[in-house]
Amino acid sequence: MPLVELNDFSFKYYGAESLALKKIDLTIEEGEYVVITGPSGCGKTTLCRTINALVPQFHRGYISGNVIIDGKNTREHTVAELSSIAGLVFQEPENQLVTLNVEKEIAFGPENLGVEPSEIRRRVEEIIQLLDIEHLREKHPHEMSGGEQQRVAMAATLALKPKILVADEPTSNLDPQSAEVILDIISSLNKRDMTVILVEHRLDLVSKDASRIVLMDKGRIVADGPPREILAQDICQEIGIGVPKATLVYKRLKEQHGIDLGSIPLTGDELAGLVKEASS
Amino acid sequence: MIMMEDVHFAYDGLYTALQGVSLQIDDSERIAIMGSNGAGKTTLVKHLNGLLRPNSGRIIFDGVDIKHYSVAELAREIGLVMQNPDHQLFLDSVEKEVVFGLKQLGFSEDEIKERTERTLASLGLAGLSERSPFTLSGGERKRVALASVLATEPRILALDEPTIGQDARQKEKLAEMLMGLNEKGRTVIVVTHDIEFVIENFPRTIAMANGNIIADGPTNSVLSNDKVIKKCSLTAPQLTQAARSLHEIYPKVQERLTLLSELENEIVRVLGGV
Amino acid sequence: MSFLEVFQYTRQDSIVHRLDPRAKLLLSIVLAVISLLFLEIFPLLIIICVLIPMMTAAKSLKRWLRSMKGLSILLVFILIFNTLLSTYPNPLNYSIALILRLIALMTSFSIFFLTVPPDELSQALIQMRVKFEFAFAMSMAMRYVPTLGQEAYAIMDTQKARGVELDKGNILTRIRNIVPIIVPLIIVSIRRALSIAESMESRGFGASKNRTYMEKLSFQKRDWAVCIISLVVLIIVIYIRLNIPLPDWSIPF
Repeated sequence: MPLVELNDFSFKYYGAESLALKKIDLTIEEGEYVVITGPSGCGKTTLCRTINALVPQFHRGYISGNVIIDGKNTREHTVAELSSIAGLVFQEPENQLVTLNVEKEIAFGPENLGVEPSEIRRRVEEIIQLLDIEHLREKHPHEMSGGEQQRVAMAATLALKPKILVADEPTSNLDPQSAEVILDIISSLNKRDMTVILVEHRLDLVSKDASRIVLMDKGRIVADGPPREILAQDICQEIGIGVPKATLVYKRLKEQHGIDLGSIPLTGDELAGLVKEASS
Repeated sequence: MIMMEDVHFAYDGLYTALQGVSLQIDDSERIAIMGSNGAGKTTLVKHLNGLLRPNSGRIIFDGVDIKHYSVAELAREIGLVMQNPDHQLFLDSVEKEVVFGLKQLGFSEDEIKERTERTLASLGLAGLSERSPFTLSGGERKRVALASVLATEPRILALDEPTIGQDARQKEKLAEMLMGLNEKGRTVIVVTHDIEFVIENFPRTIAMANGNIIADGPTNSVLSNDKVIKKCSLTAPQLTQAARSLHEIYPKVQERLTLLSELENEIVRVLGGV
Repeated sequence: MSFLEVFQYTRQDSIVHRLDPRAKLLLSIVLAVISLLFLEIFPLLIIICVLIPMMTAAKSLKRWLRSMKGLSILLVFILIFNTLLSTYPNPLNYSIALILRLIALMTSFSIFFLTVPPDELSQALIQMRVKFEFAFAMSMAMRYVPTLGQEAYAIMDTQKARGVELDKGNILTRIRNIVPIIVPLIIVSIRRALSIAESMESRGFGASKNRTYMEKLSFQKRDWAVCIISLVVLIIVIYIRLNIPLPDWSIPF
């Protein structure tokens, strides 16, 4: 049984003029690392919100079709019930830190669900180790940088032991180095069997780790497949997403100069490696 | 031309943000200011239009120390677009928002009308002019905020993190528009972390760390320096990484910041030789 | 406003900081009540002499002294005016006592506010049977009020940069000029509130009636000791006040 299943799902926010999602069909299996991308306003954020039932339970509106998360239909289950299946990390770190120190923040979710105090303590310690935030333990949100805040926000989400981590542009307000730290954490979580759904513009940083890219435009899914396949397609440039430069070089070589490097590179090093192979 | 001479600044007299910054910005330059958070980039930009005044040092605009001007007077010459559009927008239509900026600076009715229409069109906002900014998307709101400053056609335009929340297509449009302004002789300054945006559009880069300028010069040399990249919390762009790896085998490929077309030609040359 | 520093929590490790907030609340109230029982110089001096070692134990004496320095102008002001305007038999005496009482009161409460972290305070409230939602709302306010302040400054900067002059013109213009500050502030706050709500909702806020707490405050022996001593001292002092006439220690002015 797939972990995430959207069947012919459409959604319009209450008061909005047009549909945010149009007839979406999407299945995601356990252990996948799915990157969702597309131009702004394409429905990425709304799609994230469907995974833990924020749509339609918190954001109300017109719906048709169904979203089944780990066997639960989001029409019939609350966000809280889904919170230990799908954990959401949002764009703005400041708005996700609602308590006054890091330990409390991580404990916040499990406390809300009534988890045993000793178990909460165990989780807090485990997650502090896992995300390497021991040095932040006692810190107030204002004493941390954006990157540190985002790491704590992620820790707070993981404390609910979700099966799926959904991150909606978690790096867009961060500097490139902090962004890389967050993306590395996400990728290492995926290697520990966490299913990951990540909305991200920085395809040059994430596509090497992702198992799949879902391309959206105007509320629809327009392409879906392994990163190398998707990013080499012309549609990426047509709808205007940031294709990794290495991939663009590959395409230019092929189209302008008739040079085929044999496989599609996603990073600078891969590109260099392919050139080396081709020349020898 | 604007000049900063040994500018020192500390918030509340306590938290040092600039420690002896000197620079010169000529007319019709395109400059990127890069640096990690807290390096003093935004503080520096806020000195240009007098929002912050130096504790010591001088800022000279066209030969006159700007301490003689108020922020409102400087606003006519130096437009500043802040990071968060929501801090700026407060009227109930896009058009009114642009008109407000012009009225503040005392333009005539006819001019206001003409400039508003022209600016909205150039930013692809003409169709939204009657809409309330609050119903627009983040990217659109950002463009409305930009429009209201742009319409005043300042001689120097400074933008704080203009690419955040913008997709690839919108970034291209933004770049085009900034280029267009620059061709008309306006100076464009951006504060950003977006290294590719800088490489493609800004010939000069000023790198900052801990309230100091650590590098100032042609973008391709400033951003080829690993130390600068690291101190500014940046990551080397893919093309530079590729150029580096290639350089190890083909010393002819230069190990530095590269444009896509340059790298493409290098690879063609390397492979053509086989 | 630097004298307010003394009411602002500072993170430190001291005996006083480690006490249970409820014990500290009782201690502060008892100290304040005692300060209010007297309006004579000598007993108030004794109270302050008891309070100063407490501030030292809380490792906050310097901070306290700084606050008092910040307060000194106000104190001198009170002293002069009271002395000049008072109808009491010896006004200077009365004014000095008044000032000492103000210092004693401030210090009593600062022992509480200076050493209780806001999250412990809300936990204490919860355990004193205040509803979780109210206690949490209070700690959220403490969390986000500074953020709101920063936002207000950022908005002012943004509007000034487009030529809005906040400190020019007559009253009417000034009021009109507040609109470009207030409207964005409200809208930004609403957007932020929605986004915070989304994040809290996603982490099960309000989901279970049986919310648990990772750490509950628990009364240690030292907390009991503080409570018992405080109450005993209070009873003794009240007894003294009511039954034993105090000698006249006042200075002869």
